[in-house]
Amino acid sequence: MTNSCSSISTVLEKYFDQEVTDEERFLVEGHLQDCPACRDALKSMEELRTLMRVPVEEAVRKEDFPWVWQKIEREIRLQEKRTWWQSLRSWLDVTPLFRRKVWIPAVATVVVLLFITTQIIFKKTPSYPDVSVVEYVESQSDNVMVYQLEDPKVTVIWLFEGPEEERTTT
Amino acid sequence: MNREENEMISRCQQGDQEALKEIFDQYHKKVYRIAYGVVRQREEALDVVQEVFIKLLRSIKNFKGRSHFYTYLYRMVMNTAIDHKRKAGKRFMSSLDQEGSFEPSAEAEKGPEMILLQKELEERVRLAMDKLPDEQKAALIFRDVEGLSYQEMAEAMGCSIGTVMSRLHYGRKRMQESLKDYVKRHGEGRGASTVSER
Repeated sequence: MTNSCSSISTVLEKYFDQEVTDEERFLVEGHLQDCPACRDALKSMEELRTLMRVPVEEAVRKEDFPWVWQKIEREIRLQEKRTWWQSLRSWLDVTPLFRRKVWIPAVATVVVLLFITTQIIFKKTPSYPDVSVVEYVESQSDNVMVYQLEDPKVTVIWLFEGPEEERTTT
Repeated sequence: MNREENEMISRCQQGDQEALKEIFDQYHKKVYRIAYGVVRQREEALDVVQEVFIKLLRSIKNFKGRSHFYTYLYRMVMNTAIDHKRKAGKRFMSSLDQEGSFEPSAEAEKGPEMILLQKELEERVRLAMDKLPDEQKAALIFRDVEGLSYQEMAEAMGCSIGTVMSRLHYGRKRMQESLKDYVKRHGEGRGASTVSER
């Protein structure tokens, strides 16, 4: 490596990538004629490029691309036909958190909470009949108490015969 | 971007699958090349190609035409392939006998030693690429596999040309280091002081 190598080094990689100006190309090519170290550096870059590119080109050459397009088309059709339930299922499958079935206790908790909340909100409070009439009639022998309901039509009569006896008729 | 391509993209943006087929016909080899460059395994590369074109049909509405369409597509391929590789993780750390690893074209004409050597070489390249940071890997694939210019790379990677050159330089340096048994290294240290990693 000569002293001028350091000045060439900035443009040598650009030269290899064919990104130099005409002036820079002229400079590099002049230098390469006299510098085996820079020629070797260039060669190793070429070798590396070949190592990376050849297997890729080989793979491209062997591939059956019309079959790949058919696969893509099929997948697009499949995705279009999916119902909301399938989409939900596939989403559950895809999401890593849900794949681990962590969602089962969470969903169970939500269902239980919903049930409890619904019960509290719609709980029936005991209702009393709208109208009722109570009459109490006292006499020397018997006491009578009449209790009447409008809906349903029910009448309850208490008959008190003396202070310790009482009868109920409806 | 020419008028025909403009029209094709516009039709695809409206959900026309025929237009997507036209895009596929035009770009499938490039997409596959980039995908294979990253994952270096046939089945995985095909999965990436499939994923990219399905994704493209959904997301092409977001392409506003401010950059070239191919740089938009290449960026999508690179991101998808890198994600795919990351998710696949250890599946790629496979043996030399793994299905889908590089097989020479005219195997019958080559001796078993030659075939073995080529497979070993391909595996070494794959391992060396795996060690690279994503940006350097992308730069090397865009330039050395796909042959993009610095300007096109900068557009696809969303960075300056200087950054592209830096990533290429350090990527090549690391690859040469990892593959020193296969690639002659000369001019050790040269250039390292002149290009700084951005």
